[in-house]
Amino acid sequence: MNKHIKTSISIALAAGFVAFLFGGWAIVVAGGIAGLGLGYYLFGQSKAQKWQDSIKEALLPTLITAVILLALSIFQNYYVAAAIGKKPIPFNTMLQANATGIGGLIFFSFALTLMHILPLRWQRIAQIVLLTFVVISFPFIDKFTGLRWTAQVIFALIFTILALGLNIVVGFAGLLDLGYAAFFAIGAYTTGILSSPQHGIFLNFWLVIWIAAGVAGIFGLILGAPTLPLRGDYLAIVTLGFGEIVPVLFKNLIKVTIQEPFTCWILPLFRIQTSCITFMQDVDLTAGEKGISPIGRPILPIIGEFQSNNPIPWYFLIIAIILLSVFLIQRLRDSRMGRAWMAIREDELAASQMGIDPVRTKLLAFAMGATFSGFAGAFYGAYVRGIFPSVFDFSVSIIVLCMVILGGLGNINGVIVGGMVIMSADRLFLPALKDFLAGLLKATILPALSSNPTLRAAVEQNANPILYRFLLFGLTLVIMMAVRPEGLIPSAQRKAELRSDEEIAADQAAAEAQA
Amino acid sequence: MGKASKLNIRRIVIAALVLYIVLLLGPIAGFDIPNIAAAIQANPLQLVQFLIIGLANGAIIAIIGLGYTMVYGIIELVNFAHGDVYMIGVFTSLTVLSLTGTLDTDSPGKIILGLILALVIAIAVGAGLNATVERVAYRRLRNSSRLAALISAIGVSFILENTGLIWAAQSWLVPSFGTTGGASQKVFPDLLGKIMAAYGLDVNLLANTGIALRFTIKDLMVMVLAGAMMLALRLFVQNTKMGKAMRATAQNRDAAKMLGIDIDWVISTTFLIGGGLAGAAGLMAGLYNNTAWWFMGFRAGLQSFTAAVLGGIGNITGAMLGGILIGLLASFSDGYLNARWTNAWVFATLVLILLFRPSGLLGEQVGEKA
Repeated sequence: MNKHIKTSISIALAAGFVAFLFGGWAIVVAGGIAGLGLGYYLFGQSKAQKWQDSIKEALLPTLITAVILLALSIFQNYYVAAAIGKKPIPFNTMLQANATGIGGLIFFSFALTLMHILPLRWQRIAQIVLLTFVVISFPFIDKFTGLRWTAQVIFALIFTILALGLNIVVGFAGLLDLGYAAFFAIGAYTTGILSSPQHGIFLNFWLVIWIAAGVAGIFGLILGAPTLPLRGDYLAIVTLGFGEIVPVLFKNLIKVTIQEPFTCWILPLFRIQTSCITFMQDVDLTAGEKGISPIGRPILPIIGEFQSNNPIPWYFLIIAIILLSVFLIQRLRDSRMGRAWMAIREDELAASQMGIDPVRTKLLAFAMGATFSGFAGAFYGAYVRGIFPSVFDFSVSIIVLCMVILGGLGNINGVIVGGMVIMSADRLFLPALKDFLAGLLKATILPALSSNPTLRAAVEQNANPILYRFLLFGLTLVIMMAVRPEGLIPSAQRKAELRSDEEIAADQAAAEAQA
Repeated sequence: MGKASKLNIRRIVIAALVLYIVLLLGPIAGFDIPNIAAAIQANPLQLVQFLIIGLANGAIIAIIGLGYTMVYGIIELVNFAHGDVYMIGVFTSLTVLSLTGTLDTDSPGKIILGLILALVIAIAVGAGLNATVERVAYRRLRNSSRLAALISAIGVSFILENTGLIWAAQSWLVPSFGTTGGASQKVFPDLLGKIMAAYGLDVNLLANTGIALRFTIKDLMVMVLAGAMMLALRLFVQNTKMGKAMRATAQNRDAAKMLGIDIDWVISTTFLIGGGLAGAAGLMAGLYNNTAWWFMGFRAGLQSFTAAVLGGIGNITGAMLGGILIGLLASFSDGYLNARWTNAWVFATLVLILLFRPSGLLGEQVGEKA
């Protein structure tokens, strides 16, 4: 019981933090997510056989969460908003928002806990129905409440696809790939080259996305092949090298001339006259730093061409791509190939003795991982409409790695959660925190410092959380590796592997002592 | 036909194919042999000039590479954050020079004093930082999988890079950073040139000899300092008790522990020395290249790691040799190929070494470890 209360308090504080930062209608989303999180937790812990027991189990944690969330929300609106120079929203709106948010919290929490008494098959169906409802309703709730989060969530989902793809390479096959952004770049540039005025080719998006995935997959094979003899950290460094070379290529392929060396200068050296075979003469392949734009957008009947001012069709498109990816990756994981990946990850020597071909297995892991980033790249290109080489640098690879590690290596659900957490922190919370801090400082410390302009400027300049985003990613990696290397939602196998034997023994002892 | 000769034929075919691809696609990245030959023919002396530049840059790369190779030799970790310790060394020395007023003075004595102080503090900060990183981020991961430690190292690297980014924006601390924010490159003043000017000498030591080359006081400083440090390190590792303990730990950690060697202290010392060298390299590179940039550690780190691998990772002499070779490669690439592609060429070298000779030039066969 104690554990339930602790968990509900931490969930409430996390959700309260969201409501606190954004204020107003954000409590609707915060409450919904808190309800889902709490419900998921209670569902996992539940021992109930009858619905009365379930209600009893859910009652206290839900109540605690709701009270804390409500208190924080009210506190924010009537005290904090004023203090940081924002206008509190009117009482009526406040009432509606809080009622919806807390209602959502209570509904999701109870609904998920109650699912535990259903038969197994129905549990699954009920979960899917609930999740579908949440996913479909989100953009409309977002539009109704005026939060304008959908555009940012789309970026988070693009990165989630990347994380899912990287999870194949790192999580399933155990090959640390530090140059994953290269495949993202290859997917995006394929899209850019095939549907933009750069080369005057305008292919349909629905075709290009498959070509991009295919090209990225082929490059996965090409770049994966040389790394096969390498293991562990050497492999990581070589992939990092590739990840650095690919953006350099896209930056510099602006005046490409390819001439056959024998006919053009080797034979003439020996005074044999030949005609020089030229494949390309000063071709601008990638437009360098200028980048390629505009890239063609997808067109559907009824909806027409997707527009940048209406994120909802984009949202559903990326959800569709994610669903397809998750489906394919699940099938891959459970296939013969997926089991071979895990065998190679656990012990390459033993696996190859059992008849697994390590070369084929590793190459396919690279190719499959790259394919999904090709999807992400194609979507990114079409959504942003322009691509630039600087977007695909090393930090992208590390941010995606961060998502995979935070969520849980090898666990698809974990990776999705990790991706959403990291990207929403990056795209939503840091900017909100920046405004919040700026407002707070303006109201409190800065006036007191007006006598010392240097100090004032220094404080004002450094109190910008966005400046610290790399530091936060780095901290995430260090802390996760030290405290919970298997991630927030671990896959059981990966957990056993990443922790040393003594730690597992200690964990088991602790678990037994508790029971 | 024996199996060995079949394998040889296969290798030759692969090598020929790689060579042809390099000849076909190399010109895109500046590897255009007729052009290079023409450039060398037009001005052969320039070759020596690039050699000097390459040697000086290579000396700095070698000093940083020593940190990689020592740490890898002992705990088999690619200390990804090492390049960023070097970057912190650059900013530390620049800050010390600014706080002591060395940047504003024209008196050569004061500049030399300031430089010595900056060197000492940069070494101390680099050593302390590196040892702290080991204590906080790597020690508890020593027995878990090697990837866990590597990922932690990447995390530390990001933290240090961000620190550099913030540091470079603090114009109240170092006024010469200006108001352009932390992301832009900062000027590291040419203090050696100032000293020379104060004595009425030319920066170029070959100025009055009639040789059309530049061999500056900066080149000399870097080469002398780097040579001294490498010699000192070699003597330390070969002749002192601690050096012996380090070698023993590198060979077999458990056996060394059984013989009563304090493993934790040995590893800490390794990080201290490596960090100190990186800090010193920071000041040297700042004086040599006259820039300070938050991202310089990443590139320098990769070049130095390449150097360490090229020389044979774990091998101190190898790191020196590799550093100089990579420095030469980079300077010739800058001069004759295309500066925009230099990084790509360095990485390509790294990939090729790891594929064809993972033990490096001087390393013993590491087998499973690679």
